[in-house]
Amino acid sequence: MGRLSHQSILAAGRYKSLSLSGISPEVVKSLHRFMLRLRRCEEALAQEYHPADEMRCPVHFCIGQEAVPAALSVLLARDDYLFSHHRSHGYYLAKEAPMTAMFAELYGKATGANGGRAGSQDISYASVNFHSGAILAGATAIAVGAALSIKSRGESRVAVAGFGESATDEGIFWEAVSYAAFRKLPVVFVCENNNYSVFSPQLKRQAGDNISERVATFGMKSMPLFGNDVVLVYNALKSAIEDARAGRGPCLVEAYTYRWSGHYGPASDDLVGYRSEDEVKAWKENCPIGLLDEAMIAGGLLSEAGRAALLKEIDAEIAEAFRFAKSSPFPKAGDWEAMNYASSSPVADALLADIDMEAFDAHQAMVQAKGY
Amino acid sequence: MTAKRSKVLAEAARSFNGAAGTAPATRKLSYAQAIAQGLHQAMELSQDVILLGQLVDYTPAVFGTTTGLIERFGPDRVLDFPVAESVMTAAGMGAALTGMRPVLIHHRLDFMLYSMDNVVNWLSLWRFKSNDESRVPVTIRAIVGKGWGQGPQHSKSLHAWFAHLPGLRVAVPATAFDAKGLLLESIFGEDPTIIIEHRSLFTLQDDVPEAPYRVRFGKAVVRRRGGDLTLAAIGFMVPLALKVAARLAERSVEVEVIDLRTVTPLDTATVVQSVSRTGRLAVADPAWRSVGVAAEVIASVSEQCGRQLKADPVRICYPDSHTPMSSALENVYYPDEEALAAKLLSLVR
Repeated sequence: MGRLSHQSILAAGRYKSLSLSGISPEVVKSLHRFMLRLRRCEEALAQEYHPADEMRCPVHFCIGQEAVPAALSVLLARDDYLFSHHRSHGYYLAKEAPMTAMFAELYGKATGANGGRAGSQDISYASVNFHSGAILAGATAIAVGAALSIKSRGESRVAVAGFGESATDEGIFWEAVSYAAFRKLPVVFVCENNNYSVFSPQLKRQAGDNISERVATFGMKSMPLFGNDVVLVYNALKSAIEDARAGRGPCLVEAYTYRWSGHYGPASDDLVGYRSEDEVKAWKENCPIGLLDEAMIAGGLLSEAGRAALLKEIDAEIAEAFRFAKSSPFPKAGDWEAMNYASSSPVADALLADIDMEAFDAHQAMVQAKGY
Repeated sequence: MTAKRSKVLAEAARSFNGAAGTAPATRKLSYAQAIAQGLHQAMELSQDVILLGQLVDYTPAVFGTTTGLIERFGPDRVLDFPVAESVMTAAGMGAALTGMRPVLIHHRLDFMLYSMDNVVNWLSLWRFKSNDESRVPVTIRAIVGKGWGQGPQHSKSLHAWFAHLPGLRVAVPATAFDAKGLLLESIFGEDPTIIIEHRSLFTLQDDVPEAPYRVRFGKAVVRRRGGDLTLAAIGFMVPLALKVAARLAERSVEVEVIDLRTVTPLDTATVVQSVSRTGRLAVADPAWRSVGVAAEVIASVSEQCGRQLKADPVRICYPDSHTPMSSALENVYYPDEEALAAKLLSLVR
């Protein structure tokens, strides 16, 4: 269908090319289970978000964008680094951080992933090397730093940065790409191109919808693909991550996808008039989970009964996460300074002499240095 | 090799702690040489210490502050970085997240401003938002020019900006001793730190201990005792203050000169203690007058011992104007000995 773009995907209509050949059934089942769990999780959170109003923080739901996190959940090891944008829940779960702590964080509870300090758009789980942040492209460059360290220590780990196409409006993204390509760093950039910066489409903000082509000119491999075909996404990310681990340099995977809900919150913002009903409908027909369900049923990897059993198990986990979050205590206001600064410096204690010299040769003051 | 060397250095450091009363072995070093020695020792002490900055591996060596490092530690640890301060800072932070202790260098603080997103939105709040689970000990050296026409884009000392942000430590060392000690304390501490270095101080010499030592944050030092008035000074204002204090002593006005050393944390206790004896306060802050550290010091002292003040406190700062190039204007813009002396005398008259 020529060069891939949001237009070409809509023009092609219902996607029929998802193929399970060459991928192990275990991986397919893992991808499927992850996407279903993420979808149910987001739907349940959306249900509870309003009118209960107990989750008092901005939440950017990722319904419709399950494929990239699903692939990462299978491909990344615990000690790999994953940096995410504000639409963070899929990435958080991809690093196998606990759902209970995520829910508690959204409720602002002491048992939250960050004790209620961060919320949905800034959530992190340091022990599994998962970090996120709301200021678009900043984390892409932080991932480059993690990769710099991995390379200089000769490790086979990888740093992955997930972001939306809006992050490529920012200058720092291109600095990050340039430096990663120049130093051949073990970093993988995953762009979830959902076409919209809140309401504004890519072609209203950029001269071309050709991020992958532009990245390639920096000397970095890039792979644009239909991002609701989780098998395509998985295969591309697998090769990108293997290349990075093996020291063959960084890569960009640009996954064209679509968010079903509004930019933030569970409600639709389609009344603004920035996208058509037909467009939303077309993308829902190309639901990443629906496409995989269909192929799995056709391939004998999934039955209606099996799917129902899976949902029951997932829903029980979600119910437990809500129970945990709602019954957890709120954090107590404590020492503000201790919340912002380290309370000890063990490395300095071990390495540095604790001397102080008050005396300063005042005569030196006469030797006034010249300007500059 | 490195482990052994680092053990030797750490031993030397510990022997200092044990040898009370004996003077540490020192050498006369310039401010710039003291920084170079501090960096050298930090990189010997830990493989985690890396250096990122433009031209750090060429012979001018960032005004002589990175001399010898590329020869000793090689290009994997001494990185000549592209002119891309925002990715440099973010990369330093990402490296710190994985356990490194990066030192970033800006020849001109003004260029560092490209990295404000990382400094403000990520670095300063990382520990906070992770609920203490994650730390990013990045040290940023930002050099500030003064004089010889540096003009409005090579001379901004923005310590007040950084001091306003929670989560960062901010130092403005005024002596070679402090330049080395605060640098080492920053590198091996656990919080991100910005060290503002006034380039006009780089040739100033001092007795600098050979061993790696620390100067703690939030601990001001009295550089000269005096009972008539308290003068708290920052950065290159400290040597100026000492000069003027010596001159005023000839006229029987005894000025107590306090070097604040760090602006976050800010040691107001030492200033309050002094003011409660002298009853008079002046603050010499090498920055714009309004909404700065000088105002913060005066406010804190007023809160704690305002009723003991015998005269209205004064600020010695730059005008609220960008820095001019022409020497004719520069000479008026920067407070000199005469201007400082006049302000101090106005306090005791």
